[in-house]
Amino acid sequence: MELGRKIAGALEAATFERVAGVGLANAERNHPRIVHSVLELAGTPLGAGDAAIVVGAGPSLQRRRSLERLRASGFAGTIVAADGALGACLRAGVVPHVVVSVDPHPARIVRWFGDPGLTAVPADDYFRRQEMDPIHREDELAANRALVGLVDAHGPEIKVAVATSAAPAVVERCEQARMELYWWNPMYDDYDKPGSLSRRLWEMNGLPCLNGGGNVGTAAWVLTHAVLGRKRIALIGIDLGYAPGTPYEKTQYFPELSDMLGARHTEAFIHTENPVTGEVWFSDPAYHWFREVFLEMARDANCETFNCTEGGLLFGPGMTTVPLDAFLDTIPPAARKGSHG
Amino acid sequence: MPEFLKGNYKVDATIEDKADAADSTDAFEKKALSRLGGSICFVSKKSLMWQGEAQPAGGAAAAGEATTRTASRATPEKGETDGAGTKDSRRA
Repeated sequence: MELGRKIAGALEAATFERVAGVGLANAERNHPRIVHSVLELAGTPLGAGDAAIVVGAGPSLQRRRSLERLRASGFAGTIVAADGALGACLRAGVVPHVVVSVDPHPARIVRWFGDPGLTAVPADDYFRRQEMDPIHREDELAANRALVGLVDAHGPEIKVAVATSAAPAVVERCEQARMELYWWNPMYDDYDKPGSLSRRLWEMNGLPCLNGGGNVGTAAWVLTHAVLGRKRIALIGIDLGYAPGTPYEKTQYFPELSDMLGARHTEAFIHTENPVTGEVWFSDPAYHWFREVFLEMARDANCETFNCTEGGLLFGPGMTTVPLDAFLDTIPPAARKGSHG
Repeated sequence: MPEFLKGNYKVDATIEDKADAADSTDAFEKKALSRLGGSICFVSKKSLMWQGEAQPAGGAAAAGEATTRTASRATPEKGETDGAGTKDSRRA
């Protein structure tokens, strides 16, 4: 078996190791701030109809100008964005109804909401190095300042589906921007097993546990279907892969793979041809695992999922691949005059 | 290891038990792998959402029943949901 796939096979357990401790600690710290359950979101005014678009921060978002096309279409269904895509959405004039945030990292994730406390270029090159929101590469401080302004301006229009694992800095920033918070627990383990952490969390705060699928984009899709009840869900910017020509050094897990495998790190990348575009995209073990998990969940879910990324690696049984414009053409005219899209 | 080296002779070399070293290698690999993990867990063969134990009829979570099922779970169990139908099952 290829090295990348072999590592990917170990990531379900590895992710638990990575996030369970800090996630539970954050849940305890966030507990006094919990007012609304994410289940209440289903009863709030969102987009019209049963169609929704889930926005991730993958490179196809820029390559295909997906947000600009979404904006021009006047789509009035529900728009749910991963936190990493919030900046791109707002810059394109798309105000998502819901933003999903889950990552417990203490310092990084607040940047997706604009960090008012950032006054110098940080030593951490996470945002400069990778492809998720390229504007950070050009001038990190200016990009942050602009995002602070956009989030402050639109915060009251946006609901945040925030996991109890989220860093307190993210929670504070959302509250400061007057975003309304709706809480949920990440599902950490099998709630039917003795000593389950998921069950312990539910007993502590009574919030539902969502099976997150490894990353925030997949969690946003889970929420859109399982919580909001949307039955026709299109994906943009959820590539779960790196675009052709992306240097390995610019990939999300490069430092970790390099530390772990040394010169063999190149063997961890998996190259796959997109059957629609003919482009060869590639994944690392984490993205490969995310892809396998997403396809498994989509295959079993009682909804239609449309991959409208026009790129990436998310194709297979359970996933209908269509251009974004073709999906938008199926939306009834009454649902195409949105104030958010 | 030492129990396999018994004989009618003595050796000068000291044989060290490698069990501790193996444990530390496992721990290193576990730690290294954890850096490659995602930001949220995936629990295989479970529903997309679990709302805890279903309450008695009329209770707060009475509607917390599955409206759909996954292929991997032939029979949805209490509190599991893969689709909508959650509006009346708020807990917080």
